[in-house]
Formats: sequence, structure tokens, C-alpha cells
Amino acid sequence: MSDSFPRRSWLARCLGGGIAATLAALFYPVAKFLRPRAATSSGALEMVAPYRMDQLKPDAEGRWPSPFNFGGKPCLLILVDGEPRAINAVCTHVQCTVEYRAATQDIFCNCHNGLYDINGRNIAGPPPRPLEVYQAVKGSGKPGQEEIIVSRKA
Amino acid sequence: MSPAKPENFQPERAQPEDTGKPGWKEAVKGFFFERLGLDGVAALAAHKRVPIHSRSLFYFLGGMALFLFGIQVVTGILLSLYYKPSPDQAFESVRAIVTEVDFGWLFRSIHSWSANLLIGVLFLHILTTYIMRAYRRPREFTWLTGMALLGVFMTFGFSGYLLPWNQLAFFATKVGTAIANSVPVVGKYLLLMARGGEEVTGDTLARFYALHVVILPLSVLALVGGHLFLVQKHEMSVPEDMIKKYGSAKKAPSMPFVPHFLLRDMVGWYLALGVLAALAALFPWELGQKADPFSSAPPGIKPEWYFLFMFQALKHLPGQLFGIEWLEGEVVGVLFFGLLGLMVLLVPFLDRGAATGRPRRVLNFFAVLTVVFFLYMTAWGVLEKPAQEQPAKTPQTTADSPEGPPVKGTP
Amino acid sequence: MNKLLSLLTPALLLVCSRIRRAKAHPTAALLLLVSALLLVWAVLPGSAAAEDAKLPPGKPAEPKMPAIEIKSIPDADNYCIQCHTQLDTGDPKDQKFHIPLESLKNDVHWQKGVRCQDCHGGDPSVQEIKAHQANDDFRAIKSPTDIPNFCGRCHSNIEYMRHFNPSPRTDQLAEYWTSGHGKKLKKGDPQVATCISCHDQPHGNAIDLKPHGIRPVNEPASPVYHTKVAQTCSKCHSDQKLMAGRLYKDKPLPCDEYAKWSKSVHGEALLKKGDLSAPTCNNCHGNHGAAPPQMDSVANACGSCHGKIGRLFAETKMRHKFEKEGLPGCATCHSNHEIRKPSDDLLGMQNGTFCARCHEEGKEKHGATLAGAKAAETIHADLEHLKNGIHEADKTLTEAEEKGMEVSEPKFHLQKASDSLTNARTQIHSFKVNVVQTALADGEKVVKEVQGKADHALEEYQYRRYWLAISLVPILMVIGLLILYIRAMPIPEKPVDS
Repeated sequence: MSDSFPRRSWLARCLGGGIAATLAALFYPVAKFLRPRAATSSGALEMVAPYRMDQLKPDAEGRWPSPFNFGGKPCLLILVDGEPRAINAVCTHVQCTVEYRAATQDIFCNCHNGLYDINGRNIAGPPPRPLEVYQAVKGSGKPGQEEIIVSRKA
Repeated sequence: MSPAKPENFQPERAQPEDTGKPGWKEAVKGFFFERLGLDGVAALAAHKRVPIHSRSLFYFLGGMALFLFGIQVVTGILLSLYYKPSPDQAFESVRAIVTEVDFGWLFRSIHSWSANLLIGVLFLHILTTYIMRAYRRPREFTWLTGMALLGVFMTFGFSGYLLPWNQLAFFATKVGTAIANSVPVVGKYLLLMARGGEEVTGDTLARFYALHVVILPLSVLALVGGHLFLVQKHEMSVPEDMIKKYGSAKKAPSMPFVPHFLLRDMVGWYLALGVLAALAALFPWELGQKADPFSSAPPGIKPEWYFLFMFQALKHLPGQLFGIEWLEGEVVGVLFFGLLGLMVLLVPFLDRGAATGRPRRVLNFFAVLTVVFFLYMTAWGVLEKPAQEQPAKTPQTTADSPEGPPVKGTP
Repeated sequence: MNKLLSLLTPALLLVCSRIRRAKAHPTAALLLLVSALLLVWAVLPGSAAAEDAKLPPGKPAEPKMPAIEIKSIPDADNYCIQCHTQLDTGDPKDQKFHIPLESLKNDVHWQKGVRCQDCHGGDPSVQEIKAHQANDDFRAIKSPTDIPNFCGRCHSNIEYMRHFNPSPRTDQLAEYWTSGHGKKLKKGDPQVATCISCHDQPHGNAIDLKPHGIRPVNEPASPVYHTKVAQTCSKCHSDQKLMAGRLYKDKPLPCDEYAKWSKSVHGEALLKKGDLSAPTCNNCHGNHGAAPPQMDSVANACGSCHGKIGRLFAETKMRHKFEKEGLPGCATCHSNHEIRKPSDDLLGMQNGTFCARCHEEGKEKHGATLAGAKAAETIHADLEHLKNGIHEADKTLTEAEEKGMEVSEPKFHLQKASDSLTNARTQIHSFKVNVVQTALADGEKVVKEVQGKADHALEEYQYRRYWLAISLVPILMVIGLLILYIRAMPIPEKPVDS
């Protein structure tokens, strides 16, 4: 057995090392898996909007901030009497994306001149149903720059 | 050296100083042995031997099943940290695991593949145990606990399949639980219990989740504990021909469990790990589409492969057997499989000649028939094309309609 | 005469009161009685518009606006109803006078309490069967040309209509006289649509006078409910025999409008999808003032819904050219009734496009230019470019999604490119290349970003497989080491049984 004697010890060490290495290699993905991830927007029923209160105003060309992704659907964020309001931005006619017109304070669909009021009610043109309104509340932040939390019931 | 300290399994190492003084390793070992009463375990480990013969490979299957179960527990725990068992969150949470959590895709695929491998190994384990007639007295209870474990693991598979809440899962569960209705007398009650209601709903999901994560693991704990205890107690079964050849079971050639068999076991485990990694990489488990209870079942809906033989048989049984009105095909089918299960369960008691070593011709005949039936039905189920191939609905690209984008399903 | 009486009565009453105060006597009583009788007579209905029935048919005049009083009597005492709903003289010629009560009960007029005598005049208490024309008050309808004024008698009278509706429309008759139907009727042609041709049920037409089942317009059973209007119009306008020989502005009337419209995108939207916002005949042609829009007002008719496009088109050179050439605005390309869903293949200079109809090289029509042809080609090519870009990006995203990669955010973002494409298709109606290109620019940017993200997702997928393959190496190494170690450890002999 003397031949295998040093060979076995060397092998044993290699083997021990190999097994330890594979276990460590398994440990790495597990550790990364367990780390908490960034807030997800997928299928979320509640999320922080990408606009703060002070960002809700027309840009240099007079355009209102465009709808953001809320649970996979575009969602408009408008201001009503200083309070934020979130409205689904998919037109109920043939599903074009609507836009908010700050000048006339209404929601307009480019495709067939559909018109909604700031409550989402369809007031003119082809849309057959009103737009769904979601809950939008001011979150934390400096006054005037609060973040906006948009949510909807299941 | 005390007899309780076996030497022949320690690989000889060249000690830097062979002074006879106990090194730090021995001190640590002694610390735990004294307090946890590990002497008994060490004795068992030293004593346990595995028979060597042409079918020794079969002995690996039990350990392999245990290893794969261990993998399931670990990956299952990891997944349970992110999974949300509610109909409006289940699919999204699995999607999040697979797309947003680091290595989530890896653990999810491993979990799904390992489940299938595990049940396959279990089938083989039962088959090989039957071949070796390892259920002979006094090991009947080992067989019975093993059969119970098979039932538990197939329930694991069935309950886990629903959890991702995609179209395939939902409808496979709907069809599968509907079969419970065919059991005479208690069928309706079984259906209600299984589904948590008339239909497959969030209650079904909650129930299946509880089964999968609490009830079944605890059952496994109890049953595997009992199963392993019995295996250690009765020692590894030696096949009859070996006993005959060497005179007694003890005289048949064997190898120590620790470390020889264990090392070989480890080769198998690493191989399994490699296979799982390859499967997860090359054939990742898909997300599918979120379940829509109001849509019609996808064409060609079928359960996982380990249920396929039963499903296929039930599917093709005629509505009324031999034209007799009350001989409903499904009821007869369900009863048939119930009977089959019972027969398999009672094999140790049906094998009359086990004690005396008489050949079991009749039993073997039925065993071969069952295996052939299983293989044939499973193959048929896999290869059968659905009745009407609906033209695949390609998701409409948003570029087509000039009026505006057509309605798209939830991404 | 009546005015005189109505002035006289209060005067008499005044005189009476004076006499009474001065300790009356029989003169006062007599005067009181006379004034009471005069009062009753002045108030009696039916004494007003008897003149109308005397007008010969075919020469209708503007109806007056006399005060129409409402006076109801129980149906059991109304012998118009009793005779006309039940009586059967046995003479087949009298069958047309039989009016079923069920039909009447469905009529909106009946439901509001209006009865036979309120429209037709006459005395409902008369029980004998005799010629109604003998009665001065009776308002007969001798021919279809009488109908508009007959209905208009009430429906143009604001004070009367206010009994039933606080804000009534009363301009229907005035509108009607401006319509194609009305103008022909004035000239004496009885075979045109009148009120009951459209409003009554079963849709009687100008030939077959069978009224008395008029439902409110907003009831789905009405022949002029939005979904039924086209069918009602087509009862005459698809009838080749009826339309034969008729001209509008020296052009014969086609009989294919309904057939064409029902195949159009508007017809399908209304008839198949039930989209009540889709236009039917009256939305472009008007209801009571039904007439085809003129060449220059076609764009206005279409623009009432397709506002943005209408406004764009109004500012183009093409519009002025069309007007000059007498081409019908939007309908020049899109046709008037058979408006199909437009596709990008109708743009450009290839076979079958709208542009090629006039801008074809060598065969320019209506003053079309080669520069215009070039513009059309460029616009078409740019649209196709974005469309293909979106399609490719979508394909890659779907592939990545099916492989389990996270692409919901790029998928959402790609929607913006589709919006841009829709907008660009609208901007085509400016017929300017740079306008369309500006509209497409946003979309192109989005497509580029999204394609990048989709490609990245697929790369990530490959990257995972690569790394997994790599991870197999240490696993195989360990397996190899294990095997070597096993081989270096022969199985010892069994120890003696203890």
C-alpha cells in the first residue's frame, strides 16, 4: 500500500479541495438569490410613480409628461386642485394611448378625437366607456417635491 | 484504541508528527461525540455494509432519491422566499423570480427538473426493489413506507405543478381533479376537498400550496425517518441467489458503506448535479401564459409524464363499457388503477413464495404486464397529437392596425 | 272672427260686473249668460286650422302656428278608435282603414296620450260611419305630399311640443324642405321619402301608407335607431326600380350605397362590432335635411370625426387642387361609401396605390406633379422602415420572453413606437415628407432602444448557457477525482463477525 500512500493523501487533499470549491460555487448563487431586489414594476398593484409632484407640468413644448408603465399598461398622472390623480391611459375605443391637454384640462385621444374629462368620463367622440381612475397619494419628500404613490385594488 | 473507534475507514495520512498525542481534529471530534451521543451513529456507520453483486448499481437509487429530495428542499425554500400563493400574484411572482431575482431562473429550473428526475428515480427504485425481491420478510414495512412515500411524492408533483398558475398548470389541475369525481360514492367529496370548492380557484391554490410546503414535507419527514430506520435496522437486503451461493447473507461479498459506498454515492450525486445544471441551461423551464379560467383549455392538455399513463388510459376508455349503461368508462378506469395501486402495495404479501425462495411466476407475469402497460401508455400520451390542431395564434404585432394598436393580452 | 269674439268677451264681462254692482237685474244675468257662451265657444278646439285641409295636394304651404289645445276623452268614448280598430265592413277596399290596436299602443304618440282626433281632427264622438271629409275639422291625407305638413303641424309648433318635452327640436320640417326628398316633394313627386317612410314601422315607404307604429328614435326597435338607419334608407335607395330615372345634379342615383357602406370599415364597425360611434347615412348626409355633402364639404363631413386629419388636409395644396378640379376631397382617395380600412400599401407609387392614380409618370391627371410622386414614394418607404423595425423588435422581444428573459419594460416602451406610427399615418394627410419624418423620428428612436434591449436579453440568455457549461467543468473534475480516490481505496475484507 505504500505506493498509494502518498498518492492517496494528495488525492484526498485535491478531492477535499474540489468538493469545497463546488460547495462554495453553489453558495455564491444562493447568496445572490437571497439579496432583496429592487422594487419591481411587474404586475404591481402599487408603485412609486416616476414623476414627483414638481415634475407634473408641461414641458418646453407644452406637452404634459407622458404616461408611465403601471402594471404593464400606460397610466396618466395629472394634477387636480394641486392633488395628483392617476388615470389609465388606454382609450376605451380602439386602445390608442390618450394624452392630457393642460391647456383645455381634458384628456384627448388622437386617433378619433375621443375626449374625456379629468374624471375619466367619456364626454365626446367615439369612446364608449370612461377611463379607470387609480389611487394616487403624495408620499415622502420635500414639500412641493413629494413622490407620488400610485395604487389600485386587485 | 477502543473498539468503538474503527480504524479501517480512515485514510492513512502522513502525520506531520506522529507523536501519539491527539491533534486538534480529534479534540473537536471528541467534543461533539461526547455530548451528542454520536458513538451509536459511528458504530452504525462502521457496521453498515452494502452487498456486491451484478445488480449492486440498484443500491444507489435510494440515496439518489434522497439527494434529489434534498435539492428540492433547498431550492424549494429559496423559491418560497419570493413566491406568492394567490391567483393574481402567483404568476407574476414566478415571473419575477425568473427574470428579476439573481439566479432565480437557475433555482426555478433546477427545482422543476429535479422534481421530474426524482420521481423517475423513485419509479426505478421501486422496480429494482421488486426485481431484487428486497421486500422479503422482515422488510415488508420498508416496502409499505416506500409506497406511501411514492404517493406523497406524486402528490408533491401534482400540487407543485399548479403553483406557477399558468394556462397549462391550471387546466391540467382542472382535468386531473375532475378525475377524482369518478370515484364511486366519495368522488364528489374528493373533488370538493381537492379543489377547495366546485372549481379550481384561489382556494385550490392555497390548499395545494399548504400541501406542497407544509403537509407533505412533514409527511416525508415522518415516512423517510421510518423508512431509513427500517433500512438500517434490517440492513441491506441480499438477493436470494447470492445467499444461496455463499451460504448466508452475512457471508456474501460486501463493501463498507463508509467510506467506499458513500464515495461511489457521491459520484452519482455529482453526476446528478451536472445533469441538472445542463438541463437548467439547455432546457429552461418556461413561464407559459398566465392562467385564464374563462378561456377554453389549451388543445392537447395533459398532466406531467408520471401521471400520463393513467390519464391516457382514462381518456381512451369508452363512455360505456361493452355498451352497458352503468359501466361508466371513467369509473371503471379509476377503480382499475385503484386496484392496481393496491396490488402493488400488497406485493410483499402477495409474493407467497418469498420466504421459501419459490419463483414468483404469476406475479412476475403481472409485473411485466404492468411495466409494459406503463411504458406503452406513457409513450402514447407523449406522442399523441391533439385532436384539432388550432392554428397557433401569433401575437399581433402592434404595427398592423392603422386605427390603433389591437387589444393585447397582459404581458 | 275669433279674435273679435275674444276681445268682446272680456268687454261684456266688464259691463256685466258694472251692472251687477249697481244692484243687478235680468239684463245683467242675460249678458252674463251670453258672455259665458261666447267664452265657451272661443275656447272650443277645432275651430282653428280647418283651412289647411282645403289645400290641394302637391302644393303644400307653410303651416301656421295656431294654438293647439289638448283635450282628452276616455278611449271607450272615442269612436275613432272603436271603429278603426275593430270594425270590419266585409268590403276588402275598407281593409286599409283597419288599424290594429297593438300597433297603436307601440306608437310613441299614443303612449303620450295623443289620440286620433289630435292629429286627424274630426269629432271622436260621432258613432255613425260616414265620410270624414264632410267634417270641416277633418285633416285628410290624400297623398304622400300631405304628410310633411301633417306631421309638421305639431312638430314645428314649439308651444305644443313643450307639453311633451321641455327643450323640443322643431326644425325638422324646415330641414326637410331643404333636403333632396323635400325639394322633389315640393315639385309634386309623391314617390319620395316623407316622415313615415323612415319613422314608421313596418318601414312603410312613400308608396305604402301604413303608419301608426312610430317608436322613439332612441329605441332599438325604431327604424331610425342608429344601427337601423342604413337599412331604412336602403329600402328605397337600393331598389333599382324605384331609383330608375332619378337624377341628382344631373347624375343618376346609384343603388349600391348600402352594399358598399356595409362592407366599409364604418359599416363593419357598426353592424358587426356594434360600435355606436361609427357613422351611418345620416352622420354624413344629415337626417331631415338629407342631401349629399358638396365637393368642398366632404372633408368637413369626414373631419367631424377625423378632426386631426381634416385640419391637416385643409391646409394642403392638394385640397385646393381638388376643389379646383371638382374632386370630392377625402372621397377622391378613400371613396365615399366603400371606405375600407387603409393600409400602408395604398401609399406610394407601386401598383394599386391611391397616389399612382394621378401621379403616374407620363399619365399625370388633374395637374399631379412628379415631385408629388417622389414625396409619396419617400413617405411610403419611411413608414415601411418603421413598421419593419417595430416588427423585428417585437419578434426579438417575444423570442426573449419565451426564453424566460425579463422584457416587460421594453415591450411597454415599444408601444410608443406604435403610437408614433399611428400618428405618422395621420400626418400623411399633410402630404409633406418632412412632417411625416418628424412624426416617425420618435418611433425610430424607440425602436432602436428596444431592439438593443431585446438583443441584450438574448445575449444574456446565451451567456447563462455558456456559464453553465463552464460550471460543468469543476463538477466533472470532482467526479474524476472521486473516481481516482475510489480506485486508490480497495475494498477491505470483511472483519470477523463480532
